[in-house]
This record gives sequence, structure tokens and C-alpha cells, in this order.
Amino acid sequence: MTGVPVLSVRNIRRSFGEHAALDGVSLDVAQGEVVAVIGPSGSGKSTLVRCVHQLEPIDSGAMYLDGELLGHEHAGDRVRPLPPRRVAEQRRRMGMVFQQFQLFPHWTVTRNITEAQVRVHGRDRAQAHERAVELLAKVGLADKADAYSRQLSGGQQQRVAIARALATRPRIMLLDEPTSALDPELVDEVLTVIRDLAAAGLTMIIVTHEIAFALEVADRFVFMDRGRVVEQGPVADVLGDGRSDRLRAFLSRYTQQRGSAREEGARV
Amino acid sequence: MTTTATPHDLGHVDVATARPRPRPWRWLLGALIAVGLAQVAWFVTHNPRFEWPVVAEYLFDPNVLAGLGTSVLLTVVAMLAGSVLGVLLALGQLADFGPVRWVCTLYIGLFRGIPPLVQLLFWFNLAYLLPRLSIGVPFGPTFGSWSTNDLITPLTAALIGLTLHEAAYMAEIVRAGILSVDPGQRDAAMAMGFTGGQTFLRVVLPQAMRVIIPPSGSQFISLLKGTSLVSVIAMTDLLHAVQTVYNQTYQIVPMLIVACFWYLVVVTALSFLQQRLERRFGRGQRSTRGEWLA
Repeated sequence: MTGVPVLSVRNIRRSFGEHAALDGVSLDVAQGEVVAVIGPSGSGKSTLVRCVHQLEPIDSGAMYLDGELLGHEHAGDRVRPLPPRRVAEQRRRMGMVFQQFQLFPHWTVTRNITEAQVRVHGRDRAQAHERAVELLAKVGLADKADAYSRQLSGGQQQRVAIARALATRPRIMLLDEPTSALDPELVDEVLTVIRDLAAAGLTMIIVTHEIAFALEVADRFVFMDRGRVVEQGPVADVLGDGRSDRLRAFLSRYTQQRGSAREEGARV
Repeated sequence: MTTTATPHDLGHVDVATARPRPRPWRWLLGALIAVGLAQVAWFVTHNPRFEWPVVAEYLFDPNVLAGLGTSVLLTVVAMLAGSVLGVLLALGQLADFGPVRWVCTLYIGLFRGIPPLVQLLFWFNLAYLLPRLSIGVPFGPTFGSWSTNDLITPLTAALIGLTLHEAAYMAEIVRAGILSVDPGQRDAAMAMGFTGGQTFLRVVLPQAMRVIIPPSGSQFISLLKGTSLVSVIAMTDLLHAVQTVYNQTYQIVPMLIVACFWYLVVVTALSFLQQRLERRFGRGQRSTRGEWLA
């Protein structure tokens, strides 16, 4: 890895009462790298990206975006939390895609994409609109510019959500199980968009249950279990020698479940 | 009766040619309603004590219209001020800073619990408790001072009392509205770099409005009717205006009908406005009738 990582997570912990959702997680993401975070439910994958985006506080450790401390500032020989306005500024440099899409239902598709550009980044409406048109074309929804989210399928909503996150040209995209809430036949259209982003060199962390897709599109995998990073490495080595039994068990169980679920047409 | 078709008959029936089922209970109920309405209409038109000519005479009486104006003014001002205060109280109740939460909860408990009539009398008699009102540094110098009796007129007492009462109710309505919005919406807005204020005003509140408006409409209506209480502090609202007339003429029933007429006119106008607002804030949502609102 050369230079400063885009994102650097150092030994972060996050507990909910007695339960440690993140139990000392460290992770570096280099410019242009796509990292797939995999692992069983409740392993802390989603908490990790939510903490990186400062939607949840961390109890200890530190995180850096382009070398800048996230969420805190130096004050004397210690650090103190940043004021909310500064936290908002840091969030603007990251894009987030949620499992449940979270489009704003009271705005049209276009307004969903333009509003942050205008209100947060101070672009003028025409400029923001141009960017929205360009992004909607990119995700294949140019004809839905004036639709409301309820009029779109889940897959279309998630593609708009991706366009919305891209609108402000984030340094890194955080995708939190982007296809988990979708009907099986709608998964592929979203994966296609994500694949294009990866090919375009966007830096991304993808939390996903789509193991096959993750291994195809990512440069590196991170396997988490019970709040810890159990293993990580290049995706090519995910099944290689020296991989832990836990990862092997997860992968075999997962492919089995996935297969049987597909046959029943159920959502996974 | 069910008829079982032999395989030979299949395909010989088309339900599009079906005749309606006879529904005798509906006919009976319809007849009862028609008779009841006819009876009410007969009573209203043929009972001389309604004194319809008197109603007509006073319907547009300048004093009655002035009273109506006062009632509507009190309602609108108290509703607007009460709503703004209510939103702040709702936010206070949801704040993560304990003392703010406690103060707001205490306020709501207090002002929802005290009858508005008692509050009106209390504010009107504020001078007994505080002879002078002044602005200044607490326990320090004062910059200005006024006699309470000069400031607390029937109008200001009515506005303060109704606003504070209304704010307590609106706070609960707004809080329910805010809680009805998916917390993920707040996450998504914050994730895009909106500040807390932008997130609330542009994302959370507009969606909360769908839940806030219907009970607010009822609140507005009960506030309008609640303005009839201000006659106790010598405020000439609609009710007080008709009372002034019938205290001299003893035409109680026709004058009350005049008041009812105007209350119903305003309430009907409000209901219409509420419908418009519901459509406005229902954008992107499916209506109860199934069509898209846009």
C-alpha cells in the first residue's frame, strides 16, 4: 500500500451494554480499493460502517479519513469530540448506502439527488440538476427523474440511493448490505451498478451477504465474527491454505443456505 | 343455494351479466333515515320558537361579525404561536440533555392538566401576583419595567392562556409525529452531511406532518370552540356578542343559532384547509383511495 490510506480504522470498540458489537477492529482501505466485509449476522459488519460514518459513537480506538482524525480533535495532550457541525463536514466526504434504501419519500428522485449538493455543498440548482441527470443515466434510471420513491421497485430505489450518495463525489463509499432487502430477481440490477463503480476505481467498503459477488468485485475481503476481524486478505486467497475453520464453515454453510433459499424463492 | 355445474355447463356463465342481490335490510334502514330526517326538517321549519326571521336579522349584525372576527383572530394566533412552541417542546422532550427533557415534560403535564378556563382567569389576574413586569439581568439591573395591569388586557390574557394551553397539546401531537418517522431517515440525512437542524426541518418534520395534521385539525377546531371561554374575562368573542344581544331581547334560541351558524362556517372552512394540507404533505404517499398524490 502506498501513501496514506483513504480510511484507517484503528482498534475500535463499540459496546451495547454487555455486548461488544465491535471488539477491537482495525482496517485500512487504500485509494481505489474495494473491500468486502463478510461474516455471519450479528458479527458487527453493519456496526463497523455505521461507526465509520459516525452514525454511532465508538467507545475506544480511532478512525482517520485521509489521515484526518474522525469525530475528534486534538485539545492539549488529549482529544475531545468535534462539534456536530464539524462532524457533518466530515460525513460529507463519505457516501453511505443503506440496506433499507432510505430515499426521502416526500421528494422526487431528482430532489433526493440534488438536495445535499445544494444545501450542503452550496452548488447552484442547475449544476446539481445536471449532475443528477448524469448520475441517473449512469444507474439506468433517466426516465424516473420525477418519480417518488414509493413508485419505484426496491432495486430502482437502491440504484437511486447509490446515485444520491455519489452526487457529492465522496472519497469513499460505504455500502451496508445494499441488496439484503431486495427480492432475489432485483439483486442483479443493483450489483451491476456496484460492479461499474468498482471498475471506475471508486474506493468502497461493501458489507454483503452476496459472497460470490463480493469475491468477484472486491480486491480484499474482511471476515468478521463476534465483533472481531478474524481474517482478511486478497479475495483470491479466501479459500486458500491456512484459512481458519470458522471462515471455511461460514463459506460452506452460506453457499448451502443460499442454494436452498434460491430454490424456494425466499429472500436471504 | 349453490348450484353445481356438470362439466357440460362450464363456461356458460358470465358474471358481468349478474343482477344485484336484493338487500331488504338496507331498504328498511334507508326508509328509517328518510323518515327521521323528514321529522327533523319539519320540526326546524314549523316550530315558531326558532324565530328564523330573528336569526336572519342578526346573522350579519356588525357586533356579531366583530365577535366572530375576535374568535377567529384568537384561534389563528393561538394556534400559530402554540404550534411553534409545541414543536420546540416536542424537540425538548426528545432531547438527550436531561434537564431540558424534564422541564418540557413538566410544562406539558402542568398546562395540559389545568382547565383553560382557570388559566384564562389566572393570566387575567396576573397583576395580583406580579404588580410590575420588568426586563433585566436576573438578580441584577433592570432595563425596563411596566405595570402588569397595563400589559394584561383581556386580549393579551386570552392570547397567553390559549397559546400556552394549545402548546402543551401540540407538543404531544408533534412528538408523536416525529416518532412516527423511520429513524433510518434521520440517519440517511445525517449521512449526507445535513446538519441536525437541516435534518429536522427538511427531512423529519415534513414527513411527520402526515401524522401531525389530522389531530392538529381537530385541535384547531376545539381551540375555536374554546375561544368561547374568553367571555369570562370580558372579551367580546362570538358567543359574548350574541349573549349581549339576548340578554336584552331574550331571543336566546335564535341568537345561539346565529353563533352555531358561524362556528360551523369556520369549522367547515378549516376542514377544507386541512384536506388541502394533507394532500400537500402526502406527496409521494399512496392515498387511502389508492391513487397517487403528486
